[in-house]
Amino acid sequence: MNSEPLLDGASAEVLGFDWLAQATKPVSPYGERAFLQLRPFIAGEEAAAQARAERIVDISTELSEQRIEAIRAALTDLPDAASSIARASLGEVLADPSFLELRRFCATVERIEILRGDLVSLPLLMNEAVRVVRDALATGQARDDEFYLADSFSEALASTRAQLGQTQAELDALRGREAQRVARELGREELRGDEFIVMRADLRGALPAGVRVVREAATYFLCALEYNDAVLAALERRDAAADAVADVEERVRAELSSIVRKNAVGLNDAAALVAELDVMVAAARFAQRFACVAAVTSDSAELAFAQARFLPLEVELVAAGRAFTPLDLELDDAAVLTGPNMGGKSVCLLTCGFLALCVAFGLPVPAARARIGLFAQIAWLGMGLEEQIGGLLSSFAREVLALKAILARNSPRLLILVDEFARTTTPHEGKALLIALLARLRERRACGMLATHLEGVAAAAGVRHFAVRGLRGIPSPPATDDIGEALAALAASMDYRIAEVSGDDVSRADAIALTGLLGIDQQFVDAAYRALLQ
Amino acid sequence: MRVGLELFNLARAIDARTIFVVGTGRNVGKTTTLCALYEAACDEGASVALASVGGDGEGGREVLTAKPRLWLRPPTVLATARALLPRSPAVQILKLSSLRSPAGGVLYARIQVSGFYELAGPPTASGVREVVEELLTRSQIAIVDGAVDRVAALGGTDGAIVVAGGAAGATTLDESVEEIRALVARLRVPAFDPAAPSIFVDGALTADIAAAYIVRGEASQIVVRDPTQIALSGRPASETLARLKIRCRRPLRVVAATVASIGPERAFEPVAFAKAVAAATRLPTFDVYRSARAA
Repeated sequence: MNSEPLLDGASAEVLGFDWLAQATKPVSPYGERAFLQLRPFIAGEEAAAQARAERIVDISTELSEQRIEAIRAALTDLPDAASSIARASLGEVLADPSFLELRRFCATVERIEILRGDLVSLPLLMNEAVRVVRDALATGQARDDEFYLADSFSEALASTRAQLGQTQAELDALRGREAQRVARELGREELRGDEFIVMRADLRGALPAGVRVVREAATYFLCALEYNDAVLAALERRDAAADAVADVEERVRAELSSIVRKNAVGLNDAAALVAELDVMVAAARFAQRFACVAAVTSDSAELAFAQARFLPLEVELVAAGRAFTPLDLELDDAAVLTGPNMGGKSVCLLTCGFLALCVAFGLPVPAARARIGLFAQIAWLGMGLEEQIGGLLSSFAREVLALKAILARNSPRLLILVDEFARTTTPHEGKALLIALLARLRERRACGMLATHLEGVAAAAGVRHFAVRGLRGIPSPPATDDIGEALAALAASMDYRIAEVSGDDVSRADAIALTGLLGIDQQFVDAAYRALLQ
Repeated sequence: MRVGLELFNLARAIDARTIFVVGTGRNVGKTTTLCALYEAACDEGASVALASVGGDGEGGREVLTAKPRLWLRPPTVLATARALLPRSPAVQILKLSSLRSPAGGVLYARIQVSGFYELAGPPTASGVREVVEELLTRSQIAIVDGAVDRVAALGGTDGAIVVAGGAAGATTLDESVEEIRALVARLRVPAFDPAAPSIFVDGALTADIAAAYIVRGEASQIVVRDPTQIALSGRPASETLARLKIRCRRPLRVVAATVASIGPERAFEPVAFAKAVAAATRLPTFDVYRSARAA
C-alpha cells in the first residue's frame, strides 16, 4: 500500500499505517506486487471504496477462518511463474525448473479454485490456458509437485536415451575392464579418479601398459590411464548419443515453451486474478480477526463512528490482559477535545485517524458502525512527532514547521488530528494559537480534532467541545511500586468514553491525583493540592 | 584397498547419515575424497544425495566455472543452483527451494542419466542444515562438500566429518601437517564436563577472548556451543587449544583424514606425508591418490 499522498511519513508512523499494511498483507508474490500498487481512494470514488469494503466483509462472512487459512497456505506455496511466462512469450525456450514452476502454478490455481468453492465474491481463477498448460506439463509425471522431461513427451526421447544408455554401458565396460587390468597389474583392488600415484617401491618391473606418467619423482610416479582406441571409439559413440539426447530434449522444451507462449495471456489473466484474490482474502482475514464492518463512505469531510477501536493499541492491551474501551464520536468540522491526563485523548485522535485510513483504502473499519468521508490528507500534529523533524529545533519550532507544511499543502479535504499543539509555550499564547488554528481550519472546511489541556479554547473559537469523561473517583495508589498495578487501578477508575460537553467544562485534569497514583509521596501530593487552592 | 569404502565404513560405524568433507584449503583432494565416498556408497547400494556448502568467495563466475563437476549416476539426488543445472541430460526437478547459494536459488533434483553435474548450497549453517534435512527425506546418505571458509556450516551436525589436507595448502610438509592437525584439533574439541568449573562463551571464541583467558591463566573449562564457534585457525588455534581447556556442548564427529600429496605448485613425498598426518591427528588417514592407508 502506498501511504502517500494521503499521509506524510511521520503521520503514517503515528497512525499505525505500517501496522495496518502488515495486518492486510497478502502472501503470494502476485498478491505482494498488487498490494504494492494499492493507493488510497480519492473524493469522487466513494462508491468504489465502499463497494470494496463491503466485498471484503462479504468474503470474511462467507469464508470460515479455516478456509481463509487454507487458501493462504496454498497462496504461500504459489511459485512466481511470472518471469517464466514472460520469457516464454518472448520466444525463449524454457529450462526444466521453469516448467516445474508452471506446473505448480497451475496446480495451485486449481487447488485455490476448489477451496474457493461457489463463493461469488471471489474471482474464478481457472481458465482454458491454465488447463492446457497443466495438461501439457503433466505428461509422464509421477508426482504433481515434480517435473521431469519424461520419455512420454516424445518417442524420440525414449529411443535416444536408450541409445545413450547402451553406449554409456559399453564405455563403462571397456573403461572398467581397462582400469581393472591396470589395478590388477599394480596389485591394487581398484583404480579411482583421473590420476593416481604409484610408489616406485611398490612397482615390480615397468608400469602396466596403458598407464601414462603425468609426473615423476624420486619415490613415485603420478599416473593417469591412457585409453586405447576401443575406449576412445566408445567414448565418441557415447558423446554422439549424448548430443542426440540433448537435441531431442531441447526440441521437447521448445514445444512445451511454445504451448506456454500461446497461452501466456490466459496464464497472466489467472495470475492477475490470483493477485486480486490474495489481496482480498488478506483483507477479509483482517476484517474477520478484528470484527470490522464496512463503513458508509460519505462524500463529505466527516467522521462518525460507534464502538470504534484503535487496533494497534487494542492488540497491545489484549496481550497485557486488558481491554480497549471502544469510542463513539461524530465530527464534521473542527472541534476541541479535552480531558484528564492518561484519559485517552491521544487514543481518540489515533482512532479517528486509523478509521479514516481504513476507509481511504477501501478496508472495513474496526467499529460497530461508521460513516466516514474520503480525505485527501490525514495529518497528525503534536505529540508523537518529536523525533520526526530536525534535531536542532525546539519541540515548539518543530510543531510549527509541521503545521506550516500541512497548511501549505492546502489539501481540498483535510483531516487534521492535533495532539496538544503549543503545549510548550505559555498557556495564554498557546490558547491564542489554537484559536487561530481552529479559525483557519473552519475557513478551509477541514475536519479536525484538537486535543488540549488549555481552558476556554472551544468557546473562544466557537467550535464543538468534546471531553473524555475521566476518573470516576480517585483510585488508591497500589501498595507496591509496580507500575503495572498502578495502570490497572487507573484503567479501572477511568471512563475513557468521549462525550460532547457544553461550554468550557475543563475543571479537572486529575493530574495531581495521578502523580499520587503513580507513586509520588503523599506529602508532595498534598502540597500540590494546597497550592491549587491558593 | 578401497579408500572410499573404508571412509564410508567409518561413517557407518557411528551411524552417521551425513558425511561432510572439509578441507584445509583449495586443491587438497576434497573433491577426490568426496567422489571416492560417493562411489563407495553407491556401490554399497545406498541411495545417496550430494550438496555443497556455498563459500563466501565462491560467488564469482570464474570460481564457479573452476569448480569441479562430478560424474553422477541415477538415482542420486543433488542440491544445486538453478543456474548450474545442465540443459542435458535432463534431471527430475524435485523441489525449488527458497534458499540461495552464491550461484543463485537452490533446487533439488534426481539424476536420471549419468553425467557431469555441479553441486551448490547455501553458505550458512542453518541453510546447510535445511538442505541436509531435505536430502535425507529422499535418500539414505547425504554427502556434503564443505567450503574452505565455511567450517561454521558444520555447526550442530551429528554427521561424520572427513578432513582433507594436501600439499596445496602450505609451503612445506611440516606446515601442511600442522595446518591439518590444527583443523582436526579444533573440530575434535571434546564435550565439557558438567561437574567441572566452566565458563560458557556465548557466540564465537575469538582471538581476543582467548588471549584474555590466557593472560589471566584461566584454568576452568572454556565452553563453546560447538567447535565451529572457535574462530581461530592455524597456529593461533593450536596454541589456544594447548593453553586453555577448550570444551564444547555439542562435539563434532571427525572420523578420518585424507591427504593429497601432490598440488599444482608442489608435491610432498606421499608415504611420509600421510604418516605425518596420521601421527599428528591420530585419525585413520588415507591417501586417496595412492589407494592406501597410512601405516
